[in-house]
Amino acid sequence: MTKKETEWISIPMTVDVPYRFAAGQYLTRCLTELRDNGKLLAVECPECKRVQLPPRIVCAECHVKNGRWVELGSEGTLVGFTIMYLPMTDPTTGKPHDPPFVYGSIRLDGATSVLDHFVHVEPDLAKVWIGMRCSMVLRPREDRIGDLNDILYFDPLPGQKKLQA
Amino acid sequence: MEDHKNDKTFEVDQHLTAHGRYYAGKMGSRFYISLRDKRKILGSSCKQCNKTFWPPRSICTFCFSELKKTVEIGPLGTLETFTVVTYDEPIHPRKAPFIYGIVKLDGADTGMAHLIDEVDFEEVRIGMRVQPVFAKERKGNILDIQYFKPL
Amino acid sequence: MKRNVAIIGGGQTYHKARRHDVDQAEMVNEAVRSALKDAKMTIDEIDLVILGNMEFFEGVHMTDCWLVHGTGAYGKQGLKITTGGTVGATVVCAAAHHVASGLFDKVLCIGFEKQEEGDTGAILSGVAHPLWGRSLAGAAVGYFAMLGSSYMAAWGAKEEHSAMVAVKARQNARKNKYAHLKLDITIEDALNSRMLAYPIRMLDMCPASNGACAMILADEKTAKSRSRKPVWMRAMETVHNEQFELDWRDVLTKRSIFSKVCASRLYKKLGVTKPADYFDVFEVYEPATWAELLWYEDLGLCGPGEGFKLIERGTTNIEGPLPVNPSGGVLSTNCIGASAMLRIWEAALQIRGDAGEHQVPKEVRRALTTAYGGTNWTVMTALSKTLDD
Repeated sequence: MTKKETEWISIPMTVDVPYRFAAGQYLTRCLTELRDNGKLLAVECPECKRVQLPPRIVCAECHVKNGRWVELGSEGTLVGFTIMYLPMTDPTTGKPHDPPFVYGSIRLDGATSVLDHFVHVEPDLAKVWIGMRCSMVLRPREDRIGDLNDILYFDPLPGQKKLQA
Repeated sequence: MEDHKNDKTFEVDQHLTAHGRYYAGKMGSRFYISLRDKRKILGSSCKQCNKTFWPPRSICTFCFSELKKTVEIGPLGTLETFTVVTYDEPIHPRKAPFIYGIVKLDGADTGMAHLIDEVDFEEVRIGMRVQPVFAKERKGNILDIQYFKPL
Repeated sequence: MKRNVAIIGGGQTYHKARRHDVDQAEMVNEAVRSALKDAKMTIDEIDLVILGNMEFFEGVHMTDCWLVHGTGAYGKQGLKITTGGTVGATVVCAAAHHVASGLFDKVLCIGFEKQEEGDTGAILSGVAHPLWGRSLAGAAVGYFAMLGSSYMAAWGAKEEHSAMVAVKARQNARKNKYAHLKLDITIEDALNSRMLAYPIRMLDMCPASNGACAMILADEKTAKSRSRKPVWMRAMETVHNEQFELDWRDVLTKRSIFSKVCASRLYKKLGVTKPADYFDVFEVYEPATWAELLWYEDLGLCGPGEGFKLIERGTTNIEGPLPVNPSGGVLSTNCIGASAMLRIWEAALQIRGDAGEHQVPKEVRRALTTAYGGTNWTVMTALSKTLDD
């Protein structure tokens, strides 16, 4: 009996689901402040004093309602980074970001939490390092919609040199 | 703590688009190939339970035996139940109104959900005998049967 | 534990990049049949079926319902669990809880993923908060890359150390007939593989596999009467990191990190002060090479910043004093829904002496397993050969 090559049937399916997310009280304030005034707000826990980004209603560690709103500085320190060689698509917009590019984790002055974003620097290990000081660069007011993408990227402050270990 | 109840609420529209591909597997492949190439509808039988399943599956739901044989079922069947769909969803195969039903094909113990057509909405009834209408161009999926119509 | 719980059987599929020949039910059924055969049981004897996989990874919800004929759950009580990468272990813990409670005697656990069927990238992006983090969700490899770059900057480790982990994993996998990536690679090969996100290269990351794992847990009475080699579940612990807080990638952070806290709590339960002396084999969930080096430290196998020295000395090799991932680990096989369960099953095989070619060449009485999931949590289990161990 001849054995035919087995055909395995497969059926393609695209599931496209629309969502409408409510930002909630805390994120609404944060995102509208970013859009309208170009400032990033965080909240501070009355007990442990952690300055949390994004602002949220409860401090997870202390189980108490977060208190004071804190306006963060527009400068911060790079606490982690990578050079991406993979093309990356923003799933919320479908927009691609061509490699190579640098993205990292920045602790803005005044914050305890860090923020991940693009770093506007050559993808060169000599030009970017942990501890580098950066400043937040925003899109012009008319292009801001109240989203983390209202921040274009973080720019290294001029005149810095990598400290040799 | 300031009262923020007066801040306008902020809502954001997003999409999640996922492209998938389901593999029909051992029994499923046989079923769809038979539908596409021979216009024959297959089920799988469990000797122990004396039951024939649609969709054909590799394991008997009731006794867990491994099933390897397929058996031809239908092509005629009986309409077990139905509904007239009168609203639209992007995932629907047709624009409303249309009829969805469960057809128990002759020889099968379980039913097949499919579209019912060529019948007035007022005329459809449980127990109606139906036959499949095959698509002219078949691709190896359930819409190789376009719909079922009354005898 | 209220009642003692043992693993009395298990099985897994031959994990592969492509399983076009089976649908999800058929694939799951392979593992289930294998587990029942190993335990010398029939499906009728099972009281409860717990199923886990990554939600919607296969483009189908409620897999516990529509895979019923494959899992054998028809007419039985069942439960579906979805906890991301940790799900395989969470399923085992849930099963252990159900047996320990006295309400169930024989529980079938199943973890699976048929990754080729779904859109992993799109669905995984759904894990990130929609309004804070999802826009960068496409850079998931970047999270581990940041961990790697932080590790190198903090401790002076080199890319070679990552390559050593990559080589150990795939060479161990060559001894594991079920593993997906059985690669005969060298350090050179790892260092020459394509850079994905500095410092992570292609060979430093886990694959996407199709596969399933099933295990049967039972109460002490059943275990002692039915199994020649029951493996006992001695302790379990689950710890989550706080959502939004990304400190875990900074190896020098002083804040509590999920992995360290979990290990500490688990060790306290067992009265362990020196895990390197207490456990004979380790199966850790390492989605990337750098994560394994960090696991060595977080598990207390060495001090902070010394993880890369362990791999350098060969301490964690299959024939070394602290074998880590003799199975090849997640770096060699990653069918996400099964991966965490495979760590437990592989550790059980080691204790039973049934790991075949990848059996560690020393007596194994106690094993430790970890599981990992984004947005950063872990489930750890401790297994032993007898209730006196």
